[in-house]
Amino acid sequence: MKEPSAILAFRTSVREVLSFFIVLGRKSGKARAFAALGFFPVILAVVVRVVYHGRAEDIMGVFNEILMVFFLQFYIVILSLFFGTSIVAEEIEGRTLPYLITRPLTKPGIIAGKYGAYSLLMVLMVTVTLALSYFVMNGTRLGQASLYLTFLRYAGVLGLGLLAYTAFFAFLGAVLKKAILVGLVFGFGWENVIQYFPGSTQRFSLVHYLKSLLPYRPQSGGAGALSILLFRLEPTTPIVAVLTLAAVTAVFLALACWVFRVKQYLFEE
Amino acid sequence: MSAVIRAENLSKWYGNVLGLSEVSLEIENGITGLLGPNGAGKSTFMKLVTGQMKPNIGTVTIRGRRTWNAPSLYERIGFCPEPDVFYEDVTGWEFLTGLLRFHGFGPAERAERAARALDIVGLADDKDRLIRGYSRGMRQRVKFAQAIAHDPEILILDEPLSGLDPLSKRKLIRLIREFRTEGRTVLVSSHVLPEIEALTSRIVLIHQGKILAQGDIPFVRELIEAHPHVISIGSSDPRRLAAGFVADAAVQKMTFGPDARTLVVETHNRDAFFDHLLAVALESGVAIDEVTSPDDNLQAVFDYLVGK
Repeated sequence: MKEPSAILAFRTSVREVLSFFIVLGRKSGKARAFAALGFFPVILAVVVRVVYHGRAEDIMGVFNEILMVFFLQFYIVILSLFFGTSIVAEEIEGRTLPYLITRPLTKPGIIAGKYGAYSLLMVLMVTVTLALSYFVMNGTRLGQASLYLTFLRYAGVLGLGLLAYTAFFAFLGAVLKKAILVGLVFGFGWENVIQYFPGSTQRFSLVHYLKSLLPYRPQSGGAGALSILLFRLEPTTPIVAVLTLAAVTAVFLALACWVFRVKQYLFEE
Repeated sequence: MSAVIRAENLSKWYGNVLGLSEVSLEIENGITGLLGPNGAGKSTFMKLVTGQMKPNIGTVTIRGRRTWNAPSLYERIGFCPEPDVFYEDVTGWEFLTGLLRFHGFGPAERAERAARALDIVGLADDKDRLIRGYSRGMRQRVKFAQAIAHDPEILILDEPLSGLDPLSKRKLIRLIREFRTEGRTVLVSSHVLPEIEALTSRIVLIHQGKILAQGDIPFVRELIEAHPHVISIGSSDPRRLAAGFVADAAVQKMTFGPDARTLVVETHNRDAFFDHLLAVALESGVAIDEVTSPDDNLQAVFDYLVGK
């Protein structure tokens, strides 16, 4: 039997696993629950639009708070935590792993394929939610080109965040049994605390690089009580931020693939 | 005939627990039954054969190739896992066509193969129902369908008949037997001898991670016949019933249960005893309430074989 090259086998595995898990992922209860959660900022946007009628600058200020607090520090973290750790964990807990690893698929291809499928689903969910809330709030400025450029920038930053967080959580899921607990501590403990540290310490959080890519800088005394916590951001240059996020994504995804290849996931008999 | 599956000094531990110990085995074409009580190491052996686990010591090969991390080898294998688990939110059709993707089949071939496999297991009419809504028998059959859909050369079935009602069991036994065509290899595990007997005459006895014996069914039957069976008979008058067996050569020993309504008989020849039991019951006119065989299971036979 002619052996396919390792790269070809990997690519084929990624493509087929991705196709299968896109179908499976969008049917899952998890996807439905998180899609429903995405309606929260949309509802908020409608309320803001009504309350702040005709005050475009105030509306933009509120939207930026929603972006920072809901999207950046909650929605993409919780999404990537649940989808990322489940790449391996759901197969172990559901005992469905044999359906994958007894097929002619490379193990790294399984991880990369599921990562791709879940990332696509999450990016879609976040983009739809972001678009609805953003354009509902800025409905009076739909003729301005800058509105669309800003939207693309926001969507791009959130997409980069999803990819990086999901790769990290996929690695945790491949290594640890209770990855979700460690992920919660990281996502809502470490990431929330360390980003407010002055100097270079805040560079040990992913959210630091995401914030560095956003045009919005909270002003001291600006909107919201949370701004007191945000003013210490000492941004990294955009190019370094993008490269760092890309490197984190590549390294942790590669590590997740490697761990899954060498580790034996034993079920109790 | 050369071995399709070959295990040499195969050992596997789960931490400090021994799963399999120094197993050397050759499995040829045709159906081979792997028989052993729960926890004997059957599933461990199958997981090693299908490359889900790596042995601590020894090797396991299929047609000369090691099975761990050998994806191209898995094209030849169809595996039916023991647990009743699925991707529950998909239909039977989506499940099969989805898994067929992994073998590199195009859309038309996926559809054709899935339709054929579902037709074979009698699920063609239920293909568009969610798996979560399938009965236990349907779930076992769709699990079997996913194992055969890509037309594998080697079929590994881990307790495929467990939990099935007699009718579903008979259907699946027929399907497994039909699958055995020239050049194919089937390895099927069970802890119930009659199930294996219905499938094949070639069996391997496994217990506490070791191969105890291997051979054909009559050989194992002989081992089992050498083991005294304990049969408990509940009746209105056990003493009168016992009188009928005094001269029975098949009966080795008789005792009465503590409730004074049970006769406990030990016999080497169970079939002869049951034939005689009917005659004695008719002659004596004693009503029999129940007949049970407390050790009528493989565990007792295995305990006997290992000298417990």
